[in-house]
Amino acid sequence: MRRDLLLGGSIALLLGLVLAQLGFFDLARLSKGTANLVIFSRETVPPDLGVLPLAGRALLETVQMAVAGTLLGFLLALPLGLLGARSLFPPVVIALARFVGAALRAVPSLLWAVLFVIVVGLGPLAGSLALALYTVGYLSKLFAELFEGVDPEIMEAVRGVGASRPQLARFVVWPESANGALSQLLFMLEYNIRASSILGFVGAGGIGFYMQVYMQTLEYQRLATLLLLILAVVLFMDIFSAWVRKHYLLAFK
Amino acid sequence: MEMPESGWAVKAEDLWFAYHSDLWAVKGVGLTVPWGAFLMVLGPSGAGKTTLLKLLSGLLRPCQGRVELLGHATDNGFPPKLRPRVGYIPQQLGLVRSMTALENVLMGALGRQRGLGPLFGLFPNREMERAKECLALLGIAHKARAKVYQLSGGERQRVAIARTLLQGPAIVFADEFVSDLDLPRAAEVIGEMRDIGSSEGITFVINMHEIPLVQQFGDDIIIVRDGMIVHRGVARDVTWSMLQEVPA
Repeated sequence: MRRDLLLGGSIALLLGLVLAQLGFFDLARLSKGTANLVIFSRETVPPDLGVLPLAGRALLETVQMAVAGTLLGFLLALPLGLLGARSLFPPVVIALARFVGAALRAVPSLLWAVLFVIVVGLGPLAGSLALALYTVGYLSKLFAELFEGVDPEIMEAVRGVGASRPQLARFVVWPESANGALSQLLFMLEYNIRASSILGFVGAGGIGFYMQVYMQTLEYQRLATLLLLILAVVLFMDIFSAWVRKHYLLAFK
Repeated sequence: MEMPESGWAVKAEDLWFAYHSDLWAVKGVGLTVPWGAFLMVLGPSGAGKTTLLKLLSGLLRPCQGRVELLGHATDNGFPPKLRPRVGYIPQQLGLVRSMTALENVLMGALGRQRGLGPLFGLFPNREMERAKECLALLGIAHKARAKVYQLSGGERQRVAIARTLLQGPAIVFADEFVSDLDLPRAAEVIGEMRDIGSSEGITFVINMHEIPLVQQFGDDIIIVRDGMIVHRGVARDVTWSMLQEVPA
């Protein structure tokens, strides 16, 4: 009991110190911030719908980048995930595959975008490639764990007939994991649509470029239109994903 | 049927196996199984029956001892060429639920299909025809296109047997694979297996705990307890009390 109290007290103290260091107890600053937020909110209404044609085109490009990046990443993550699955490959191959995945995942998509803007120039190609690489890093880890979770008895039975590793992957691992993998793919698509909306900040295409311009020129009503559009797309994606999961991914549970 | 390369389909000597260093699951088992036998392995849960079956079929490597399967030593690494000739049906059958009965049966042919075709779902016509024949032999040809999750327990059992038959094994190890069925249906499945075994000259080693089925279909039995074989005898003489009372 006394030990629990001591532990709880220590954690609370540590949390308090961290919050204080971050400025959470700076009341003057917080009240000023609240006032700024009210002013900002007032300046965003009503949203300027005049930018809709331009914003619509930029939004389409954003969604295209997210879809292309997610699909390309998915295709590359599949073999990397298989190579990282303990039930299929020897430890050396697994370690190498997992290292590649971790390295790709360690760099945020915004930094990948900066790199690709340097490599292939400004525009949506850089953004798509950035999202693809981040997707590979993320999905390969999730896939490797998913593939390892396949019922060992099925693996044993099919390995027992003399099936090779590619055959095991094709006939056991993928069919048994497809539901989970597609669910993760949808999650990644949702994530990439959010992420792709800010890649334009560094010139990698999409609606982010205009968000940055409107923020710098203090055109908050136009910015509000862009934010509402992004919100609409994200909500649509959530509903679409839920529909796909409900109607297709639970078919044989 | 191939000519026997030694007097026994299976010959095991002084087998020892432990999953954890301090706990032996199989202790000094010696066993011979004649060609074409229908041997049933009995014993209480946790006696080591599944482990013994995996050791004999080459799915596990013994810590100590020697296994000779179809005339080939397997304890120092399983010869890859031998794999398609050794069938194994696990307790939960090891079927892929989202695939059709026919696709699951075709997996039995994977050991002799090394090209890219099967990876795209393309199997040679002779394999396809043989797979359909195996399903027909077990009376479920009409379910060939049904997904496994749509099949009943008995139909799934038959799909697992058909997959093993397509493999063309000389010996089949089956691990309590009818335990989920009621007795009449289990008898039907075992009976079909026994008939096919006799006509194709296949040796069977089956883990089983349903005494009436053992009496009806088995040739010889062994009783395993605490990782050791405590009795070997004739199947028709086995009784429930015998299973309980055989001293370790």
